[in-house]
Formats: sequence, C-alpha cells, structure tokens
Amino acid sequence: MKLQINDYCIRCGICVDLYPDIFKRNHEEHKIDVLHDELPSNLEERATQAIADCAVAGHKKNIVCYMKQL
Amino acid sequence: MNKTIDVDVAIMGSGVAGMGAAYKLAQSGGLKIAVFEKYPAQGGAVSNCPMCVCSTPDTPEAQKAAFEVLARFSNYTANMGAVSKLVKYSSEFPKIFLDELKIECEMKVDRDPKDYGNERGYTMGHANGLDVGDIYFLKGRGKGHAMALALLRLRLKLEKEGVQFFFSTHIKKIIKDASGKVTGAIAYEKDGSEININCKALIVASGGISSNMEMMKELGVVNTKFEDVYKEGTQVIKTFPDACQDGDGQKAVWEIGGKKTGIVISADPEVPNPGIRIGENTPWFPANSLKIVAEQPYLRVDENGKRMINEEMSNQHTAMSAAYAKSPNMCGYMIFDEDTAKHLAQRVEDGYVYFIFKGVKCENIRGQMDSIIAMGNKHVCHFDTIHEVCEYMGINEVNLKKTIERYNKAKEIGYDEDFKTNPMYIRPVREESGQIYCMRIFAGAYDTMGGLAIDENANVLDENDRPIEGLYAGGDMVTGSIFGNPPQNAGGTVYGSMPTGMLAGVSAAAYVKGDA
Repeated sequence: MKLQINDYCIRCGICVDLYPDIFKRNHEEHKIDVLHDELPSNLEERATQAIADCAVAGHKKNIVCYMKQL
Repeated sequence: MNKTIDVDVAIMGSGVAGMGAAYKLAQSGGLKIAVFEKYPAQGGAVSNCPMCVCSTPDTPEAQKAAFEVLARFSNYTANMGAVSKLVKYSSEFPKIFLDELKIECEMKVDRDPKDYGNERGYTMGHANGLDVGDIYFLKGRGKGHAMALALLRLRLKLEKEGVQFFFSTHIKKIIKDASGKVTGAIAYEKDGSEININCKALIVASGGISSNMEMMKELGVVNTKFEDVYKEGTQVIKTFPDACQDGDGQKAVWEIGGKKTGIVISADPEVPNPGIRIGENTPWFPANSLKIVAEQPYLRVDENGKRMINEEMSNQHTAMSAAYAKSPNMCGYMIFDEDTAKHLAQRVEDGYVYFIFKGVKCENIRGQMDSIIAMGNKHVCHFDTIHEVCEYMGINEVNLKKTIERYNKAKEIGYDEDFKTNPMYIRPVREESGQIYCMRIFAGAYDTMGGLAIDENANVLDENDRPIEGLYAGGDMVTGSIFGNPPQNAGGTVYGSMPTGMLAGVSAAAYVKGDA
C-alpha cells in the first residue's frame, strides 16, 4: 500500500501527532511527508485510520481519491 | 520577465478572513478576484481552532444586545461602526456553514439576548466562541475541526465561481500611486520569481505574527525568560507549527504608512508540553487530565506569590490569558494540595468548565505529573512543602505563604476579600494534607491579534486615522478595531475574523464598482 498527501492537505498535523510512525512534518518545504514509500503491511490498518481521522481527507491511498468524501 | 497578474481585487491570505472577503466579493458578481497565500496550503489560524461558532441572530433584540456587550467589552475603544456591521454579518453564519457548505451542526445552544455577556460557560472572547449569540457546534471531518473542512469547501465553491487561488505566493510589498491610492502589490513565488499584481483594491488578511518570534519579542508581545515555550516543538500552543503567520501583512501596511496598533497573544492558557498534549500540532487532544486540572478554579499566583485574578474565572480563557500575559514572565502558578487532588479524583467542579463535562474525574494527578516530569517537563511539580515548591518554581516564598494564609482564611469566613471569588471554589492549601502541587501556566497563543486599524468599512487607516484608498483588512490583524485597541485579548475568533473579512469584501466590491 502506498500513501500520498494530496493538494487539499492543510498541514494541520493531526496525522503527525496521532501517527508519528507514518507521518512527519517537513518544516523546510512546509508540507507533511509520508515516512514510507511503500507502507509495511503492519501499518496499513493505521494508515487507513489516519485517512479516516484527517480533517480534510488530505491523504490518498493508492489511487483511491478520498476527495469524494467531501 | 516578471509575471503580471491583473485583477479587480487581490486578497492576501486564505484563512477565514480572506475567505470571508472572497465569499462576499464573489457574491457581488462581475469582479476578477485572486487570493494569494504564502503557505502552500489553505488554512489560517482558524482551521485548527474552532469547534463552534457564535452567530448573533438578525433580530433587533439580539443585534442590540450583542452590540452593547462588545461596546462595553472594549470600553468603547472599538470602532463601533465596524462592530455594528460585524454583528450583522455574523447572522449569516448558519446560512453559510450549514446550508451552503453543508457542515453538520452537532449541537446548537440557543441564547437569550438578555444573557449575552453574562454566562461563564461560553465565555466572552473564548477562542471558540463569543457569547453574543447562538452557539453552533460544527462537526468536522475525522478528528479535525469543522472550520478546516468549511474553508476547503468554500474554496472549492469559490474556485467554481471563478475566484483564482495562488498558493506558495508571498505578497511582500504594497504599491501606492502618487495620489496615495493602493494599486497593486509585489509577490514572490516559491522559487523567488517576482509577480506584479495590479489591482483596484487590496484586502490584507494575513493573520497574526505568532510564527515570527523576533517580531513578537521586538514588539513586546512575548516578554518572558521562558520564551522557549513559544518556540516550535515545546511551544505553549500555537495555531499549528509551521503556520507561516509572520506578520507580513502588518509589515507591508506599516511600510506604506498604515497605523500601528497594539498586538497581543490571543487566548488559551496552557501548561507547556511535553506530556500535556499528545503532540505539538493538536491542542485539542490532551495527553492526560492535567489540562483539565489547569482549568479548575483554584489558587493562582504570579511569581511574586501574589494572586493575579479571581480564580473563579479560570475557564474564561480571555480573562485568564490576559492575567497571565501581564504577569511577570507572562505566566502564573496554580497551587493546590493533596486534599484537592483527592477531590478532583472524585469529580471536577460541576457545571463550571465549558468543555469539561460533569462527572469527569482527574485521578492519580501525582502519577500523571510524575510521568510528564520524567519526560522532561519542568513546568509542573509536587513537594511536601511550600518551601520546596517555591524553590523549584521560583516563586516568592514569603509572599506566597501570606497569600495562602489569606486564601485559606477566606474559605473559613466564607468571604474572599481579595478577589471576591465564590467561596465554594476556594480550596485551602495546606502542607498537612501531605503534598503541594504546582503547575506553571502561560498565556497560550492560537495566534496574535492586532496590528492594523480599520474604519467602519474595513478600510485600513493611516497614522492620521485617515483611510488609505483601495486598502482593506480583516481578521486577527484588525481585531483591535473590534475588541478594543489594543485588543482585550479576546481570542482569535470566527466571530471577529470572518465578518471583518466579509466587511472588507463588501466594501472593496463597492469601491471597485464605484458604489462606495
């Protein structure tokens, strides 16, 4: 599973605080980085939860566009 | 060659004020509008704060009551012409957020206009809502706040209506022509390339200065030996880290002769991390019960050992933050004993704190403190004696002992001569109880408020209080014109910010169309 940050991310950092094993704030580029190119399978459930917890659905899993939830 | 963008109205900032302005400009029709955001993302201070908004209904009783509360709150130093309009614009919130943006309302608290400004529950100037109207608790997506979702939906709506958004585009300079009229701005893209913006009106809505420590120190907004708590990582609280609220709008306006007004930290008293909140990004996720403890109405002193405020106000963030901000080193000390810790393990003070519900217990306060002390938090402690607490925290022991004597006596006689606190909230502090607890609490910042002055049309004023033609402002940077100059530490609010943005939008539209 791959995780991407999409354009709607507001960099609020909910994901960084709740899932520090998956996300990190990049202060230089003012963005949120995903720590893994390919998520280890043991983190997949947490990543799915992170998408559910996101304030604006700024994370994109594989090619599924979560913007439709808006 | 430099890029040029020609628009009717340019907006600096895509937070709640900028978006309020864009909303009204789009509504007026026929205008070319562009929003410039320095940050690569939409947001502003408000995206990470409010879970509720206050809206004054558009009835004569409600409007009059709200107007009068705001007038008194500011000691009539607010611009009452602007206040009159923002009270009216706030009545549009239910239509905007619920009907147009389809944000769900989880709970609505209807307020009788006679009660505006009186109840402690939804406190005047709390960062989440003013008590001058009905309170709408809005449901966000996931674990986020509704305003983040609302602003994104508003942007998508406005984009469909033709409003252009330029992210990572930093307006640094405002251009005036020979007659003193604002005609444009200079912005820079991420790679440093320059953009000339030609516009008929410019709306500055870039928020506060809380990301700019140098400017905060220079202006005396932060004046404490504990300045580390306002820095990234260990900060007391900020809207969110890396928010880029650098005071660019204030600086650009001051450079062309705009009036400088006082800037203050907006409200939310906080014990610094580590260990108080789960992380640095999410102030609304406490790591344990210590945040709840810090909201309880028990003894507070400054570092001189003197009481600083009626502790009954402890959930009134505006009042508390103002008291902390004007105390030495911008902090206060909450002190309680083992009996109170045991009392909190049974229940917190009922019907008292706005977001802490009845029946909540704060168990094992000592254990919770120990675990965050082990994480390196030096702002909480507990000792056998007042002497040890004073030594560890740097509080004047002689004064504190005298203060505690009077405070304990107030409980005995049922009257608090010093601060008129409701005696039911006074809990004696006694070494005999077994332990003395102390927490250092700071005036936390969602952002800062103030810097610019506006007239009743959100037209920015110059040093001689005359409007600068073509220049408008809204949001945290003009809240002095709403809550008093300097702002009475009223908290960054949707109530103050969005309507001032809307006012700026309406006024700029009228100006550009020649209707002003």
